[in-house]
Amino acid sequence: MWAYLLRRVLAGIIVLFVLSFGVFILVALSGNPLAALQATPGISRATIAAAGAQLHLNEPLVDRYWGWLVGLLHGSFGYSYTGQPVGPQIAQRLLVTVKLVVPAVILSVLLGVIVGVISAVRQYKPVDHVSTGLAYLFFSTPVFVLALLLKDFLAVDVNRAVGHTILFTVGESTPGITGAWNVFVDEVQHAVLPVVTLTLVTYATWSRFQRAAMLDVLNADYIRLARAKGLSPRRVLFVHALRNALIPVVTVVAIDFAALIGGALVTEIVFSWDGMGQYLYNALTGAESPDVYAVSGWLMVAGTAVVVFNILADLVYGLLDPRIRYA
Amino acid sequence: MGILHAENRSDSRRGKWYGTAVVVAAALIAAGCSSSTGPSASPKSVTSGGTLTFALDEDVAGFNSLLAGDNEFVLTEILDQTLPRVFVVQPDLKPVLNTEVVTSASVVKTNPQTIVYQINPKAVWSDGVPISASDFIYNWQAQSANPKFKDVGGKPFLPNTTSGYNQIASVTGSNDGKTVTVVFSKPYGDWQSLFSQANPLLPAHIADKVGFDSGFQNFGAAVQVSGGPYEIQSYTKGEDLVEVRNPHYWGPAGTLSKIVFRFILSDDQQPPAVQNGEVNMVNPVLASIPFLDSVKSIPNFTVSVQPALEFQHMDFNEANPYLALSSVRHAIAYGTNRPEMVTRIVSPLTTAIGPLNNRLFMPTESGYTDTDNGYGAFDPAKAKSLLQQAGMTMGSDGYFHPNFGPEKGQDFTLSISTTSGVEVRSEIEQLFQADMKAIGVKINIQNYTANTLFGTIGPKGEFQIIEFAWVISPFISANQSIYCSYTSSECGNNWDHYSDPKVDTLFDQALTSVNTAQATSLYNQIDGLLWSDMATLPLFQNPDLFGWSTNFAHIVPNTSNVGIPWNANAWGAT
Repeated sequence: MWAYLLRRVLAGIIVLFVLSFGVFILVALSGNPLAALQATPGISRATIAAAGAQLHLNEPLVDRYWGWLVGLLHGSFGYSYTGQPVGPQIAQRLLVTVKLVVPAVILSVLLGVIVGVISAVRQYKPVDHVSTGLAYLFFSTPVFVLALLLKDFLAVDVNRAVGHTILFTVGESTPGITGAWNVFVDEVQHAVLPVVTLTLVTYATWSRFQRAAMLDVLNADYIRLARAKGLSPRRVLFVHALRNALIPVVTVVAIDFAALIGGALVTEIVFSWDGMGQYLYNALTGAESPDVYAVSGWLMVAGTAVVVFNILADLVYGLLDPRIRYA
Repeated sequence: MGILHAENRSDSRRGKWYGTAVVVAAALIAAGCSSSTGPSASPKSVTSGGTLTFALDEDVAGFNSLLAGDNEFVLTEILDQTLPRVFVVQPDLKPVLNTEVVTSASVVKTNPQTIVYQINPKAVWSDGVPISASDFIYNWQAQSANPKFKDVGGKPFLPNTTSGYNQIASVTGSNDGKTVTVVFSKPYGDWQSLFSQANPLLPAHIADKVGFDSGFQNFGAAVQVSGGPYEIQSYTKGEDLVEVRNPHYWGPAGTLSKIVFRFILSDDQQPPAVQNGEVNMVNPVLASIPFLDSVKSIPNFTVSVQPALEFQHMDFNEANPYLALSSVRHAIAYGTNRPEMVTRIVSPLTTAIGPLNNRLFMPTESGYTDTDNGYGAFDPAKAKSLLQQAGMTMGSDGYFHPNFGPEKGQDFTLSISTTSGVEVRSEIEQLFQADMKAIGVKINIQNYTANTLFGTIGPKGEFQIIEFAWVISPFISANQSIYCSYTSSECGNNWDHYSDPKVDTLFDQALTSVNTAQATSLYNQIDGLLWSDMATLPLFQNPDLFGWSTNFAHIVPNTSNVGIPWNANAWGAT
């Protein structure tokens, strides 16, 4: 298994660096970071030229990539075009995204599995129709619409009813709050709406995967055999059926989770959370964009998450199904 | 100075001011608020303390508004109350001396033009270092872009503008650094723009150590040094920036104990935040009908829509063989129904804006004169007549066919370009397309991202007609680089290949005139020539939407580049 893991990690690293080269070149060629300066009267041409030189825009692209790569191997993500170090910037954004994504994924997994299993067990019963309808509703509702509905019809009304603000619609926290407990409560109050939004759109998809996987398993011969052997329905369901039905869902969850680490862009924007998605968006559309160093830094982190979670998914397969062996 | 900007989502728009007494601000309320929805004009008493949260639609790139890359409107707004300025443009768009920083600033000699500033003896940075001539000297050197002056490490300074600063021969201090004498090598009429508006004084003793180009890029001690009523207490990237009273401020203390700038990048998300009580003030980058509808229904919330110092316009690239003919440009102008554009696009927001007939002064400025001399009229018959005179014949398909040039014998076709995804501009293009079809000109729409439009298409002249907005300031001198002859190296923003030696001469005269009335007259003569040459076609001023909770008073919108926080030291809770 260790040899398998090592091969996967090495392959992942190679993919990341090939990808980083392609992205670095394409992003660098896709726009002009000096556009805003060129459109601002009063800035001398000498200043624009000097700004370009400070951003190394006058150097060959491959040299710039090599310089970035050498810095990366020495532990530095370099500096963004606005002069800030990329590494600490990404670390801060990653923390924000994790605070949003982890609770949402945990809730989504719980909801998705429970709803999917119930739907499968009660196939074509009213509870199945209701859960299917809700899943399609949340799946097809754009995040920004869902967010606005929650803001307008939940947060504002709840706050009005209780007489003070307990649900916040923007930001991760209230500035100036002191005391660990107060800070914790404040952050939870800010996280409720974005986490609920992300959970609703995420669980909807996963519950459908879980339902389909569960139906497949429930109709399998070995389940029929288990029932024929007289095993209790609970044991058949949870030990024999659910365990196997989780395997395809694990893949979906792992891939989706890795993608969410790269940023839940729309959720972050509508709730003003400055996470990974927002960071990438700003790097591609901000004043001095496209910021090739910021984008490349983001890519390494988001790409690493994809590689790591795919490997983790492979490992979880083995735990769920002992027949799977790594060679 | 960031006097003008090609407006796009990520750029800065206006600038800001600085601390004036509460009494002055309160008195300005009545004068400053012209509105479609009418803010209260009666001054209210305010109590000391409280927090106001202002939603900004962009985070800052850094904290040095004098630096080319940081020169964003939001940063100017944030620094309104923390860095000192000599003059502050008031809501009536006239500069007024900020006597808390300098007790006097006067022209003591005209040849060579010499200005003497007397710094307020009490003026001191929040770290205890007096505000002195060395701050003026540093700011001049950094913004002059003179290669003999270097930033730390021997690097060149990268200032957002050199206008005016590059005409200064010397800045010297006397009287223990409290008297500053500025001598110009060439007269500069807009001298009141120096060390003012979006170009406040940086603390020289800090900048000298940390560096102009990179020392203020990250939040830290250098950024927290204040010379105004408030100082920056904290900054959370992408979240908020908090200002509290500067305990070392020598003038009247700010009324609010805290001002929070909350970064809400999507304008759509600001109304729910207002409704939920998380935000007390908004000023979206684009005033839209949905936004207006969302906020005007919120109880206890004042909304004011005012004409901005920003206007939409169309430029004609005279490198095109057809647009090189003034008769064709005039024909397009006569065929463009500007009143209809205003009715459809702007009137739902405010009726205070009409078709714009001046590029250098807005109707909200005292220097404004209708200089169009009839060239801005909507007259499709005259447009067709001019196209015929230019050597075109009407085809059976309703389009003119040129008898010369690359489109000889074909439908006369031009393209218009703007930034993609901006509803206002899209509407302008569609109305323009229909107007041109009516006079026999086929229009293709070819839009680009803001980055491509302003980084490549515009500067390289790869367009035929281009539409965007200029953001202007009451100091007119920076317009020179747009309208002076493109052959000059100083005219980097003339993307249109426009050239008129008479305009160049008049600009030279206006820029060196220290007589305001004379300069205004010269600028209006220039605009008259721009109309007769039909260099560009101004369309209309953009509307600027301000909204704030009625739980706060002494709030006075300012459409200049100081923004609404220009008098934030006077804001208070009622």
